[in-house]
Amino acid sequence: MTQVSTLPRTAESAAGVVTEFFDRYRAHDVEGMTELCAMNAAFSYPPVELWGKQRVLRGDGKVRTIGKPLWTGLIASFPNLSNTVRTLASNDDGDVVAEVDVEGTQQLAWGLVAPAGQHYREPHLFIFHVGPDLLIDSITAYWNDAGISQQLGHTEVD
Amino acid sequence: MTSSPVLESTPAQIVQSFLDAFARHDVEAAVAAADPRVAVTVHPLGIRATGTEVLNEVLTDLVRAFPDLMISVSRVIATGDVVTALFKAEGTQAASYAGAINQEKHLDIDQAWRFTVANGLITDVSAYWCQAQLYRRLAVKRYDEIAIA
Repeated sequence: MTQVSTLPRTAESAAGVVTEFFDRYRAHDVEGMTELCAMNAAFSYPPVELWGKQRVLRGDGKVRTIGKPLWTGLIASFPNLSNTVRTLASNDDGDVVAEVDVEGTQQLAWGLVAPAGQHYREPHLFIFHVGPDLLIDSITAYWNDAGISQQLGHTEVD
Repeated sequence: MTSSPVLESTPAQIVQSFLDAFARHDVEAAVAAADPRVAVTVHPLGIRATGTEVLNEVLTDLVRAFPDLMISVSRVIATGDVVTALFKAEGTQAASYAGAINQEKHLDIDQAWRFTVANGLITDVSAYWCQAQLYRRLAVKRYDEIAIA
């Protein structure tokens, strides 16, 4: 259930929400990650782009409909998935920018990448917006998917 | 042309001046917004170096390979001395880039660049984009055969 905080939104409290988000991500607590987000929180992972014959699936939508299944699938494919927050900057408007290394060892297929037991660690840039109620209302992340594919032993540009 | 640091400018204004210069392909003016010892990290290219020469090379390579390069900034987010710019880079390839031969393909890539500003100059820049998307747009088929169409 989404919880509404009574704390005022400041740069520090917004950063605290995002720190908690990555703590829960590290603990594979997808429900907990989602609880930190507003009901209609926006989600955008521009690097997620799956090309089919007649359509392209993109990582854009809402946390609850796109983000949650993506996180769940990622954790299933990389059971030791973890993250390291390297930098975190925030402001009183609720913007939080975090440089985060995400890493894991592949056990199941991820997209078109077959599991070969390989490990990846890739820098990500996350941009959050935390609302006045201290719920995340927007998540955007950028990374180099080619780096992940190559570390996993997948050499085709899909 | 070189410019001296504008101490009264905010970090966001400094970064905006960089982006404006980059958008008009004025690499020299863009680089002038950076400290001579600026730390430059371009994750998709595996670049981690120091100095305006590196930044100059990164920008020049883009402008040279995509002469019609268009930079459309969607957001500039100031969080203290850290400024993050979200933009789309679009252009048509006219020369080899990042190992990919020119096949005159069109590129459109969402990017995020994170800057740190101190004393009126950019002291750190880290660029994030997806090289898989870039290679896909440029018709590269394999990471181990980037130059083979």
